[in-house]
Amino acid sequence: MQRSSWLGLAFLSPALIVVLLFFLMPVILTGIFAFTNMSTATGVKGGSYVLNASSLRALTDAGLPDVTRSQIESAGYRVDERGLAALAEAHGQAVAEEFSKNHAGEVFTKRRDVERALKDLSSNPIRKTRDRKAAADLFKRSILNQRYETLDAFEAALNEAGIPKPDRPLITEIAYTGWTWTTANFDLLLSLDSTWQYAKNTGIYVTFTLAFNVVFGLFLAITTFYLPAAQATAFRAIWFLPRILPPVLYIVMWRWFTWDTGFISTVLSGFGVSSKNWMLDTEYHAWVTVILINGFVGASMGMIVFSSAIRAIPASMLYASEVDGASRWQQVWYIILPQLRWPILFITSYQTMSLLTSFEYIYLSTDGGPGGSTEVWALAAFHTALNNYGGNLQYGLGATYALLLVVIGVLASLFYLRLFNFKNLLTKPRIEG
Amino acid sequence: MRISITNFTKTFGDTTVIKDMSLEIESGEMLALLGPSGCGKSTTLFSICGIHRMNAGRLRFGDKDVTKRPPQERNVGVVFQNYALYPHMDVHANIAFPLKVRKEPRAEIDRKVLEIAALVHIEELLQRKPSQLSGGQQQRVALARALVRKPDILLLDEPLANLDAKLRLEMRSEIRRIQQQTGITAVLVTHDQVEAMSMCDRIALMNKGDIVQVCKPKEMYDNPASDFVAGFLGNPPIAFLDGIANDGEIRLANSEVALRLPSNVIDLSNGTQLRLGIRPEFFQPENDMKVTGKVSFVETQGREDLFDVTLTNGAVLRSIQSRGGDIKLGDEVTWGISREHILAFGPGGERL
Amino acid sequence: MKHNFRNWPVLLVLFIFSLPLLIMLTFLVVDTFTTKVPGTLVPNAFTLHHFRFLWTDLDDGRWGIYGVTLNTFIFAASTAAVVTAISVMAGYALSRLSFPARGFFLGSLIVLHAFPTVTLIIAIFLILQILGLYNTLIGVIIVKTALELPFGIWVMKGFYDTVPWEIEMAGVQDGASRFTVWWKLILPQVQPGLMAILIFSFLSGWSEFVLPMVLNPGTDAQVLSTYLATLLLDTNTNSDFNLISAVGLFYALPVVIIYLIFQNKLMNIYGGGTKG
Ligand SMILES: Nc1ncnc2c1ncn2[C@@H]1O[C@H](COP(=O)(O)OP(=O)(O)OP(=O)(O)O)[C@@H](O)[C@H]1O
Ligand SMILES: [Mg+2]
Repeated sequence: MQRSSWLGLAFLSPALIVVLLFFLMPVILTGIFAFTNMSTATGVKGGSYVLNASSLRALTDAGLPDVTRSQIESAGYRVDERGLAALAEAHGQAVAEEFSKNHAGEVFTKRRDVERALKDLSSNPIRKTRDRKAAADLFKRSILNQRYETLDAFEAALNEAGIPKPDRPLITEIAYTGWTWTTANFDLLLSLDSTWQYAKNTGIYVTFTLAFNVVFGLFLAITTFYLPAAQATAFRAIWFLPRILPPVLYIVMWRWFTWDTGFISTVLSGFGVSSKNWMLDTEYHAWVTVILINGFVGASMGMIVFSSAIRAIPASMLYASEVDGASRWQQVWYIILPQLRWPILFITSYQTMSLLTSFEYIYLSTDGGPGGSTEVWALAAFHTALNNYGGNLQYGLGATYALLLVVIGVLASLFYLRLFNFKNLLTKPRIEG
Repeated sequence: MRISITNFTKTFGDTTVIKDMSLEIESGEMLALLGPSGCGKSTTLFSICGIHRMNAGRLRFGDKDVTKRPPQERNVGVVFQNYALYPHMDVHANIAFPLKVRKEPRAEIDRKVLEIAALVHIEELLQRKPSQLSGGQQQRVALARALVRKPDILLLDEPLANLDAKLRLEMRSEIRRIQQQTGITAVLVTHDQVEAMSMCDRIALMNKGDIVQVCKPKEMYDNPASDFVAGFLGNPPIAFLDGIANDGEIRLANSEVALRLPSNVIDLSNGTQLRLGIRPEFFQPENDMKVTGKVSFVETQGREDLFDVTLTNGAVLRSIQSRGGDIKLGDEVTWGISREHILAFGPGGERL
Repeated sequence: MKHNFRNWPVLLVLFIFSLPLLIMLTFLVVDTFTTKVPGTLVPNAFTLHHFRFLWTDLDDGRWGIYGVTLNTFIFAASTAAVVTAISVMAGYALSRLSFPARGFFLGSLIVLHAFPTVTLIIAIFLILQILGLYNTLIGVIIVKTALELPFGIWVMKGFYDTVPWEIEMAGVQDGASRFTVWWKLILPQVQPGLMAILIFSFLSGWSEFVLPMVLNPGTDAQVLSTYLATLLLDTNTNSDFNLISAVGLFYALPVVIIYLIFQNKLMNIYGGGTKG
């Protein structure tokens, strides 16, 4: 390998590492997480094994034989080495030895029995009832409400408690608190009515915002092109602001504008209209606001791209058309618009992608409201996995929502690659030494 | 230092640009690589300096094989067509850069920079940025930068192409002066034959990735190895007549005109396809082997006039004459060819 | 071509369309410095009361504004620095150096460049949890850097592509290693690109909201965007628009200043670079 190859790889490797870790891995992991039931309850890392009242209920529902169930519940107190050692530590070797002589290997079902056995020791060494209770607990070998960190430990405990072999897999499965593999997310996704609602909302959102972006972007670009430089610069600057201002502040302004004590309410109250929240009072108003909020931002991008495309049109072409007596409309229609075909295609496809996947502005303005009417797909994914009032965040289900967007994103990016004149990019470096 | 290239081949992807080329450049000599655009001159130059790797063949500087050496280790100074001065450095820093890279002491660097600046006459420009220099001044800086570290070899890729006509004339002699003063082995890439002939000891004429002739400029002009060489050298260019040999004469294609062949090719067998090259200075009114044609083009070049004369078969002869005649477009003229100066070429273009 | 036509109708239409924005911007500034006659939009007195967050803590437990501002600065500045540093190197490699699978890397760059990054937020959230970087500023910085990188590399590569090869060839011929050539000769030529990326990614980091909100929701290392969003979404404070606007104005100040200085440059990046 040439020397410059090493330099090339060295120069690329920091980028490579970061991109692999936080770009490629997330893409793959979204696909993987979509097949799990990860949630706040299961945690993200592995889980442990716990049998408690609710898991017992679940076991009964799953058809666990009553015999086994009562076995689990009653697996009580066993006088074994471990307990004796603990007893020796708490109350002295002599006590432990005597207790061992009388009861080694015995199993008690109730704590009271253990306490009695302890009381019956020759010298009654443990006087206080509270101490005796504690000492009895040293022999407690029930598997209920115990946390086992590994599968081996849990199985050993089941074995010790004498749970029948055929019932163990079911018990193990239900006792596991971590996440597991499942395809349930996809079934759920398809069966939920809200899924279709999200898809529909997304359709409305993307279509209208996109139309606004392109049409209004074109309008801004063309009008500012014809204006004297100072005016054009002023308008471009105003329309560039939504893009450059921090999104949160931008939404602050819109909220102020539409709030029940805000601008619209205040102005309209002068005409006797009672003040209300113009953003959230009806579904229709919510949509208009959402589309305008995103549309204003998108239009500025269209404006910039179209403006530079228009400026790239040879001035002689425009002069020629003017000499030919074209009106301004004709000039726009026959000269400018045909030249903007590619920029329009570019903005359309680019904005479609970014509108499909972004939720920032909606989250900050309507948060999907009122009543979920502006909840788009990307926002639903976000809500399901990362932000809901219920508190149980369903990472797995959220990832399933996101997966669809990721797949669309990958396909669109690959398409983008095809659009590019990739061969041109591949020109070989000219220094070969 | 002597440069020897043997069996050099260079390909870019599927296209072979240079095929099996061999060339020897003597120590202290200035050689021109001359040829039409795209024939591989720059490719050859870049392979000598190490920017391109040779796909096959060997390159030696003196006795040293440098075929596999990276450019940094070849000690070759290069002047690029657009000079490639470092825009963010002033002239002093530009010239000092090769020395800085070699970590020479500061005082030493300053001394060498001043010395070379004096050689190329740019002492008073050292504090300027390249953008504040004229083309000719940039050219001198580029030369200084290439020479300051005393390279074994100096390579110049069309160094005069970006200069206006007057400056080109001036820099032509400047470069030659500096080369002779330093005694460095130099290769000059150019597609301008005048440049090649006036500046260089020898010319290597290239065509389609191969060298067709290497020799002294005058010899190449007088004694071209092929019709390509004859056609490439000379301004105004040589005119060609095609025909068939017949009893020591040539019968021109599609006509009854017959001309006697020069004495060195007089014994060609009848029926041989022939191509005669006649330079404009050897087609003159006073010469004895007359041909008649119509003047189809007149151009006044100041001191001289240039005429195209179309013969009856459509072939064109060219003549250059001192001014004074009153020959007009469309006149019929009968002028003569100097027989012993005719260059004869075989059907493959090879010199006979 | 301006003289054949009358401008005022166009001007009027543009003005009407721009009115909402103009109103919002005007009152954003006016409201923060004045008190109003209740129920109207008319200011009646100058006040700095809405800027009280600058000298008193707004409420218990929450960091003072300066701590949050410092966090935001650290976040934006380190993102910008790292993105620029990595892009400057990777862009050079892709533009000028030959190494195995170069074509593949170039293709990946285009794909990544076009890819909508927000879709990855859930997976990234889980990755940070697993790595133990959840709820740390460092975690958000790394993620933000990664997501900005394809754009940065793309822009830098574009700048490198415009530097004449001959300069590089001359450098190599003068005896410098490729690294020295890059450092001493090429890097100075792409300074505008470097500045562009630095500014762009700083602004992008300064404005970033979703990543800090999801990946760093705690109050330990809050940034201004989440700070402002909490004020906005919290029902206790969300009707005090004067206060919110004042915080917002304070938050946006650096952006506006940078915008005023680099206006044209920024428009070019946003236009050519397509991201953001
Ligand atoms: N990197 C490359 N990849 C593919 N082909 C190349 C490359 N560089 C040069 N060529 C081709 O090699 C041939 C020779 O190129 P070269 O630059 O050596 O020509 P040249 O004689 O210097 O011409 P000019 O007088 O126009 O500079 C040309 O046909 C050119 O298209
Ligand atoms: Mg060339």
